Amino acid sequence: MNRTRAALENVVIIAIVLVLVQTFLEDLAVLANWTWDVRRVLMFTGFAFDIFFSIEFLSRLYVAFINRRTGVYFWYERGWIDLLASVPLLLLSSGPAVMAYWSGSATVVGFAGILNVLKVVKAIRIARILRLLRVLKIFARIRNTDSVMAQRHVAKISTISVAVVVVAVLLLTVVFGFANVPSLETDYQTRTLEILDRIEAAGSDASELETITSFEDSIVLVQRGGTTLFSRYTNEVLAHSFGPADYGFGERGTLRVFFDLRPVNQEQSSTNLMYFGVIVLVVVAYMVLYSPHFALTVSDPIHIMSRGMNEKGYNLEVKVPPLYKTDEVYKLSGLYNEVYLPLKDRTSGSDDTDVLDLKLDDIKDILNE
Amino acid sequence: MSGEQEKASAFVSRLLANPALAPLTPLQREEQIIQFLHANAAQLAPTLGSQAFFPGKSWNQIVALLYHALIGIVDQQLRPDLKSVITGVQFGFVNFLRQQSAGSEKVRLQIEQFLLGLLSQMGARRSFTGAFAALRYGIVDKYINAIWTRKSYTHFELTKVQRLKLSKDDIKAMIEATLLLMPVVHVAGAGTNGQGEQVTGTVQAQFADKVFQAAKKQLIVLPDQVLKSGVNANVSYLENRFIEATARLSAVFAARCRNYQPNVRVDRGADSPDKSWLSIARRNYKFYGFDIKILDELYSIAAENGW
Repeated sequence: MNRTRAALENVVIIAIVLVLVQTFLEDLAVLANWTWDVRRVLMFTGFAFDIFFSIEFLSRLYVAFINRRTGVYFWYERGWIDLLASVPLLLLSSGPAVMAYWSGSATVVGFAGILNVLKVVKAIRIARILRLLRVLKIFARIRNTDSVMAQRHVAKISTISVAVVVVAVLLLTVVFGFANVPSLETDYQTRTLEILDRIEAAGSDASELETITSFEDSIVLVQRGGTTLFSRYTNEVLAHSFGPADYGFGERGTLRVFFDLRPVNQEQSSTNLMYFGVIVLVVVAYMVLYSPHFALTVSDPIHIMSRGMNEKGYNLEVKVPPLYKTDEVYKLSGLYNEVYLPLKDRTSGSDDTDVLDLKLDDIKDILNE
Repeated sequence: MSGEQEKASAFVSRLLANPALAPLTPLQREEQIIQFLHANAAQLAPTLGSQAFFPGKSWNQIVALLYHALIGIVDQQLRPDLKSVITGVQFGFVNFLRQQSAGSEKVRLQIEQFLLGLLSQMGARRSFTGAFAALRYGIVDKYINAIWTRKSYTHFELTKVQRLKLSKDDIKAMIEATLLLMPVVHVAGAGTNGQGEQVTGTVQAQFADKVFQAAKKQLIVLPDQVLKSGVNANVSYLENRFIEATARLSAVFAARCRNYQPNVRVDRGADSPDKSWLSIARRNYKFYGFDIKILDELYSIAAENGW
């Protein structure tokens, strides 16, 4: 049972590492204009991972529930991170993206025009940041120090930091969205509506349409009554380079204009990569810089004092760094060095068992012969 | 050898072969096994009193058998070690102190015979454990070199107060000789062996005088300064402020090495073994009768060198 559990935990660790790579590559692919074929593979991979982690969360929740420790799992064993980094992503990010692919973008986002396209893009964008919480899942499984206490404290502080960053970004994005704070999306929306008006006003004037399309790079395709009036790319290029989320359209009567959303997506991917980098660096910094500091200034002195109190032959003093000598731990270490150890030394003089390298367990074989 | 003795020897040999005891000197190993038997008497007594080991024997009889076997085996390991340690001491300084040639070999032989005689007593073996370990691990060498570099309190005490007009190597040899002579308090003819011995292992100054007189008869080639140093290494400095610096230093070295383990793994965040021991000894100097200033200097040396 334990072996199966360990194997499953290892699978989860591998999956977390892979999903972090996938998250990074998915944004890099948008930023670097990788072909839709590659991005489609990454999109489906992300969807598969979201299903996997949703199942993982539900399984853990179920096991916790039948063991009557749902609260412990959810609040103290990072169940809430498991939740935020799984189900919402499936429902708000990869799920809608895959649905859009299967259904065709026009049917999903087209009925409400460009405004809804941008809102969906924004919703997906907000949800994607939850993926970064998975950095914490892998961090929780890395034993960066021998001390359980050090590990718990460092995990706690990194969880707080990363969760605060993620939640702050989420909330601020929502607040800014409701407050109609000018953004790339609102600019884009205003501009595309203007373009739509101009094209509509141009009517059947081909030269005017040519002028507009030559100045507005965001126009991909213009159709009226089912007839294509303008196409910036060949069908091959459109099939090769554009995914469902890469374009949106606006319509006025029989006029339909398709716009290139890739610059908006690239801007978002760039921001995502920046968040990703910040969070990974924050977590790594806690592991590499704070964890040893915590071990050195808190758990190591306690470990030494604990050994000194439990083992009769262990009489090493705690090294007290002058810089931290006023810390409570080192004040206690001072007492241990100056009072406890000398007292222990004096009393062990009359004790026959003061330093024993030999234990009864060492000769079990002799006694059992 | 009787069947019981064979069984006792086999049992003790298995205990001595434990890897945890490998880095220790024979006397340290012996002490560990004695402590082990004492500490685990309740668990060992039923098993060792069973048919498979020593049926019908009381625990005291079993312990006596085991001790006998233990001393026999340890002596086999100790004798060559002791000979090699004594051979390593350069007794040339004895000629200088006596102002006549006694012959280093003669001094070596006399000390060896004297020690082998003394070490038949359990008390002498215990009080020699630390001194022997200090000699085996070369602790004198490293600290004397540092003391000579610093030329501070201990150097002054050795060369000016004790007035040893000897080279560094000769003083080193004299300290080594002092360590060899530390179990002298168990010499026959000084009254009850270990008389006046206190919890700390020190003896009273008056008893030390008796010891000196008795030992002098047996160690005729040794100059009084050396023998006195060996005897006084067992006397508290708080009781006699005129104890030789060599004796004070030897007392510290022997105490340090009683439970000394070479190449001990130091936990992260812990002080080094010598520094820790000396720091504790500084706080307990009155209890053990050490010279606090010597401890201070040795502590600084250990701190500077990461010992």
